[in-house]
Amino acid sequence: MGIILEVKNLTKKFGGLTAVNDFSFEIKRGEFIGLIGPNGAGKTTVFNLISGLEKPNSGSIRFDGMDITGLRPYKIVNKGVARTFQIVRSFKYLTLLQNISVSCQSHRGKEASKGVGIDKYASSILASVGLVDKARIPPVILPHGDLRKLQIGKALGTNPELLLLDEPFSGLSHEEQQNLTDLIVKLNDDGLTIFMTGHVLRELMTLVPRVIAMHQGKFIIDGTPQEVANNKIVLEAYLGKGSEEFA
Amino acid sequence: MLIKEFQEKITNVPNYLKSWVKTFTGGLTLFCLLSLLILPFLSQNLNFTHVFLRVFTLAMIYSIFAASWDFLTGISGQISFGHAIFFGIAGYICAYLISYLGYPIWIAIIMGALGAVLAGFFIGIPLLRLKGPYLALGTLAFSLVFLKLFLMGSLSDIFFGSEGISALPKLSKDPVVEYLILLILMIITFICIIQISKSKFGTILKSIRDDETGAEASGINTTRFKVYAFMLSALFAGIAGSCYALFITAVNPTGNYGTVISFFAILMASLGGLTTITGAALGAFFFILVEYFLIVAGAADSVYLIFAVILIVVVRFSKQGILKPLLERIKDLWDVLLGR
Repeated sequence: MGIILEVKNLTKKFGGLTAVNDFSFEIKRGEFIGLIGPNGAGKTTVFNLISGLEKPNSGSIRFDGMDITGLRPYKIVNKGVARTFQIVRSFKYLTLLQNISVSCQSHRGKEASKGVGIDKYASSILASVGLVDKARIPPVILPHGDLRKLQIGKALGTNPELLLLDEPFSGLSHEEQQNLTDLIVKLNDDGLTIFMTGHVLRELMTLVPRVIAMHQGKFIIDGTPQEVANNKIVLEAYLGKGSEEFA
Repeated sequence: MLIKEFQEKITNVPNYLKSWVKTFTGGLTLFCLLSLLILPFLSQNLNFTHVFLRVFTLAMIYSIFAASWDFLTGISGQISFGHAIFFGIAGYICAYLISYLGYPIWIAIIMGALGAVLAGFFIGIPLLRLKGPYLALGTLAFSLVFLKLFLMGSLSDIFFGSEGISALPKLSKDPVVEYLILLILMIITFICIIQISKSKFGTILKSIRDDETGAEASGINTTRFKVYAFMLSALFAGIAGSCYALFITAVNPTGNYGTVISFFAILMASLGGLTTITGAALGAFFFILVEYFLIVAGAADSVYLIFAVILIVVVRFSKQGILKPLLERIKDLWDVLLGR
């Protein structure tokens, strides 16, 4: 079980604002890890840097030993890193099946679907996220929970080894959350390394065995949910100064 | 594996056609095509064959051109305001090869189209990073630059100046044959464009149109596919452009690719319905026929005004174009008449 993702001294500035500041951490293959921090902490920027949507000012990102810093997003996907987005996006004028078949046409997706053909492979992914009965429908009429599942399906189409989930639970009803949780846990059980962000802590903290916390672009702590929840700086970040008295 | 899939598809064609014809749009399309096939034989009158029929031939050339535009903008999402450049470059190459180098007509047409494909490649690449209105402006800029090059008297040794090249041969001395050649060409190119759009490759182009970042996040090299879209669109625009040069037997900077030709493509495809491809043919025929009748009625000056107004109305009220919704209404009426 080696290290699948190694981030070192990652820094990203937007003009005068340092969104990510000298951020470093490691993830081992097969882990299920949360990244928490209040709104604006820099979580999505970290994801954007790893997935190639943004280029860091300094620092390095290594996936499975390969340097992926600053590569174009599609190349990073084809190395095995897939992601979902905080604000759900889909190909609105394509059917669900077509939405997934697009990612199945990436290099990795084509490799994975060689035996059965792209349509069957995309169908099976649609089935694994529980949407196969809506295969011929475009995303416009789907409820929010289904859209989040579709996003995961699209990511799975690229046959990833590491899945980055950006706020997968936001906007979901309790039942939808439970549904999605079951899916994510199953994916991790099947061997997919999952790195998830969230700023609503309740579900995340009960779900993941390990949490990395960040605030204002900086690394605070990396530990079990209990350790992180009791950390002074984390509490201050969420609740303001002097809040450790209430812990 | 690929050969087997292809064989399966070919054997499916007769069944597919049978069920397609039974649909309303399929039957209607077949009816239109058969009518177009019969049209040239309805009269021997010289005015009919040499004037009226040629209006239809022109409409078919523009159909191909508008369809190529719809492929780039409606299917692939790359907005083109300078489509005249592919039309014109193909026309000029075709004209040059025939007039100066004595090439046979069909080779010249193909070479013209391939020249347009090269142009599509060289234009697509610098414009890759632009999106939406900026891309549109970029395409417009390219077409204006080329127009200037050809109009410049000082470069007339290389680019033939404002006189261009004339006295080109026609596709056929018999306008009926010319008409039928273009009818077949139109059918073939439309089948090609529609099949490409429906294929897995076409699905990728549509995904780039719908959400480019999302497509990239799905592992697609969006840059490469955008260039492919430009090149394919240019191919078909180039076929139309070469045919147009031979239709009017000349190429010159104003006739062949003034910016108004780019406007025609946008107008025709939008009228007929963006992304539909077949709508481009509807729009082209509508525009060319209405223009013809307006000119015959003596209202030549108001043609562009009328169509600009129509375009504004279409864009404002109906993204689907006005002809497709009209067809839907006709279909409903047809169903009512048949008692469904």
